[in-house]
Amino acid sequence: MSEPSIFFTEVNERQGAFHRRSFLLGGFAGAGLLALGGRLAHLQLLEAQRYEKLSASNQFNFRLVPPPRGLIVDRNGQVLATNRPNFRLLVVKDGEHEPAPTLKTLAHFVPLDEARQARLLKEFERTPNRVPVSVMEDMTWEQFSAINIRAPEMPNVTADMGEVRVYPHGGAFAHVIGYVAKVNREDLTETGPNSEAILLHPGFRIGRQGVEKAFDLDLRGRTGARKVEVDARGREVRNDPGGDIQAVSGKTVELTLDVDIQKRALEVMDDESGAIVVMDCRSGDLLCMVSAPSFDANRFVRGLSVAEYRALADYERRPLLDKAMSGTYPPGSTFKMTTALAALGAGIDPEERVFCSGGWRFGGRTWRCWRHSGHGSQNMHEAIKNSCDVYFYQVALRMGPDHIARAAKALGFGQAFDIGIPGQRTGVVGSTEWKRTRVKRDPTWHPGDSVSYGIGQGYITANGLQLAVMTARLANGRKQLNPRLIKSVGGVEMPPGDEVPSLPFSQEHLDYVRAGMIAVANDARGTAFRQSQLGLGDVLMAGKTGTAQVRSYDGVADRDSRSVRWGLKDHNLYVAFAPIDQPRYAISVIIQHGGLGGATAAAPRAREVMRVALLKDPEIRARITQPLPMPDVSDLPPTGMAPDGSVIAPPPETGDPV
Amino acid sequence: MTMSALRRPGERDRLVVKFTQIDWTFCIALCLLAGVGSLMMFSVAGSSWEPWAGPHLFRFGICFALMIALAMFDVRVWFALAYPIYGIGLALLVAVELVGDTRMGATRWLDIGFMSFQPSEVMKVGIVLALARFYHGISADDARLSWWLLIPAAMIAAPVLLVAHQPDLGTAMLIAMTGAAVVVLAGLSWKIIGAAVISFAAAVPIMVIFVMHEYQRKRVMTFLNPENDPSGSGYHILQSKIALGSGGFFGKGYGLGSQSQLNFLPEKHTDFIFATLAEEFGFLGCALVLALFAAVIFMALRTASLAHSHFGRLAAAGVTATFTLYVLINGAMVMGLAPVVGVPMPLLSYGGTVMLTVMIGWGLVQSVRVHRYSEVTSGKGAFV
Repeated sequence: MSEPSIFFTEVNERQGAFHRRSFLLGGFAGAGLLALGGRLAHLQLLEAQRYEKLSASNQFNFRLVPPPRGLIVDRNGQVLATNRPNFRLLVVKDGEHEPAPTLKTLAHFVPLDEARQARLLKEFERTPNRVPVSVMEDMTWEQFSAINIRAPEMPNVTADMGEVRVYPHGGAFAHVIGYVAKVNREDLTETGPNSEAILLHPGFRIGRQGVEKAFDLDLRGRTGARKVEVDARGREVRNDPGGDIQAVSGKTVELTLDVDIQKRALEVMDDESGAIVVMDCRSGDLLCMVSAPSFDANRFVRGLSVAEYRALADYERRPLLDKAMSGTYPPGSTFKMTTALAALGAGIDPEERVFCSGGWRFGGRTWRCWRHSGHGSQNMHEAIKNSCDVYFYQVALRMGPDHIARAAKALGFGQAFDIGIPGQRTGVVGSTEWKRTRVKRDPTWHPGDSVSYGIGQGYITANGLQLAVMTARLANGRKQLNPRLIKSVGGVEMPPGDEVPSLPFSQEHLDYVRAGMIAVANDARGTAFRQSQLGLGDVLMAGKTGTAQVRSYDGVADRDSRSVRWGLKDHNLYVAFAPIDQPRYAISVIIQHGGLGGATAAAPRAREVMRVALLKDPEIRARITQPLPMPDVSDLPPTGMAPDGSVIAPPPETGDPV
Repeated sequence: MTMSALRRPGERDRLVVKFTQIDWTFCIALCLLAGVGSLMMFSVAGSSWEPWAGPHLFRFGICFALMIALAMFDVRVWFALAYPIYGIGLALLVAVELVGDTRMGATRWLDIGFMSFQPSEVMKVGIVLALARFYHGISADDARLSWWLLIPAAMIAAPVLLVAHQPDLGTAMLIAMTGAAVVVLAGLSWKIIGAAVISFAAAVPIMVIFVMHEYQRKRVMTFLNPENDPSGSGYHILQSKIALGSGGFFGKGYGLGSQSQLNFLPEKHTDFIFATLAEEFGFLGCALVLALFAAVIFMALRTASLAHSHFGRLAAAGVTATFTLYVLINGAMVMGLAPVVGVPMPLLSYGGTVMLTVMIGWGLVQSVRVHRYSEVTSGKGAFV
């Protein structure tokens, strides 16, 4: 044995203990590794399918594609609202990329000033991670390609092509069609169509006003989806066209409006504030519904700056208010047909005469006629033609308010029509019952209330649409015609406005009142004779002027509206229909604080719009074999200037003072 | 022939003879593991040697050469340096406490001019050496149960407390467990072991509530309930499990792991590289790699049992225990069995410090193997 014994004496207790314990360590390691293997088998063999699904849902994403929004067209198919391509710049915030430096870099390529950057950063704070924020809309092609070339350096930036809503006629349809805008948090709901994920898409727009709002769901269409492979930051890696779901564009909404009439109506409004409504007297279709001044809805699509919004909201003439539906005004003398119909219905003899001396003493005060020199002896026909206030004071007093209220309601006052879009204000139709329940301060109907009611002042207000409906019903003479604004949605025709009950007036009475309106516009002494000449041969127009005061003239020496500030001037109104033999179109014109007179401020505008409507009608065109030359147009006065006092013109004050 | 050569004192000191005594099977297993790591890094980098696969292989090469070089040192040299290395490690830990770099809320790094490193890594080898050195000098009875054992207890406690204070709970636990493994291997009484296990189990909830930092507590809570917070801290565990599970038996194929390629898997090239492997090579690949780890561990344990010196045995076994702990903890973490504690998979994961520590450890083990017949003089209780 050459080996030193020390090796064996060293095999002592310590070594034995170590060997036993190292077996233990080996056992521990083996058991641990086996446990890991068992766990792996559990995950990879037993639960593999479950985790494969989770992995696939990580890997693949459906990117929602907003559908093209439906078109809005006029009655002839002219496009009023459409979409155009939009180069958009999107930035996502994720754990790795902060938006602030990204915006700084982007500012080299697109105009992004400090204020806009600050506003966007606030938006980023509100937006969850990985949801893209639109930094810039409507980039030029140059900007778009400049960003795209640098895309690899900026992984959190995408420049893509979406669609943006565009209104080719600018402000002409702004109030009727409304506009679309970005989705607000308030728009989102837990359930229903507004809970859909597409609303969070940066390219999605929601209808905000008018038709865009009322028919939002029809216009939206069906959301599409693109199957894409994404990485952990949600960035797109690959597209899988096989898995795509096509978007279906929204339905087309066809309006009854006519783009030519609508645009001409807005043009003739000039700088004035007011509304023009044109309605078909046979079908009830609205051909024109304009509120002036208007605004460019395209600006709202992009998002207004605070300054722009303030300018619109603070402007005295209130462009954001739809005066055709939401503005209510005293109808003034345009209400006299209603009073006349009520009087005829109440059994008052139209040939009974009232003497007008320019004023009438009643209830301790003098009720003035607009013509201070008086009209002399008037029957009902003459009183309508001359718009004699004294006649209607007395007639209204005799029959009381409830007769008038019944007639007014039958003609459409005091109600909102179902035209498909919200926003109508009904106005007021006074009656004893109404005053008892609604006027807490003074619930009794006083005789004096009836007196002013007779000439369309006091407890009677109406919007432009109601005035047009009244005129159309008078012109139609048979039916309680309803207005219709939406012709069809997605090719499905909407119910027409002429399937309605008959008017509760006798034909004889209606003919009588219509004759009065014809005289207003066609008798050389009618209040709006000169301004109502269409120059279309035997196609003639019938009408009625109106001037509604907005302040009390008691104790006011100078009643001339021209000297007071805009907000205190009288409203000027004109309602008309044409042709007088076979009425086709009815129109109402309201010039808010026009300050002149129904004949001077409103009637020439009505005539111009009516001419456009008539000339577009093939049947009318056929009738006009040889149109007469246009009448002198110098009677469309520049605002704020006095109308010239020519022979056949009515006196400057065409108002109906109380 | 080799065996007899080793038994002749003059012969076994020759470098060539020493070289033949290195466990080359073991070395091949190490190379295979490092190769698998590099292969996965090549895949997750999108079939590129940069930035991980190339450097990983390069570092492994350097460290492998270092391991061979260290194996040439006689085990008596290691014995002599055991306490100095431990002392230097402890001094560096104190230095970190005083002048260390603070990164991400933890003071772990020491800046030494041209590079910064974590002294806690030195301690992983230092504690094994120092404990082996200590137990070499005492009898089996004393190692079982005696007042002498207060010394190893203090030797473990000092670095553990310093590292825990940085705070780096993962490393502190690793050092404590390594130390405990050596103490158990040296023959600690089962009564003490049982008592320690029971008191540790009782101490865990107290630690969680009173001692841990907020982020550590959050990690523990997340581990217990990963689905509660799928995009926050639970994200790592969940995504790792998805990667593993979706791999199935054969895997998705090399370079086709969607979880790792699309970055759903966090730390895909470092702590979670095993999940990358599992996704692309499935159960089959994982089982093979685990078998390789098992082979490495058992070859190292065999080396430990071959040693004639008690110091050599304990040092080799201690290093093996550390390695085993790394593998098991990382595996458990990746598979959702343990909280995310930042322990890498040795040899597979990218990272220079751990690679260096592990290969120095294997250098010690190979030195023990090459010099298994070396006599190490014992001095009971001697410190030199």
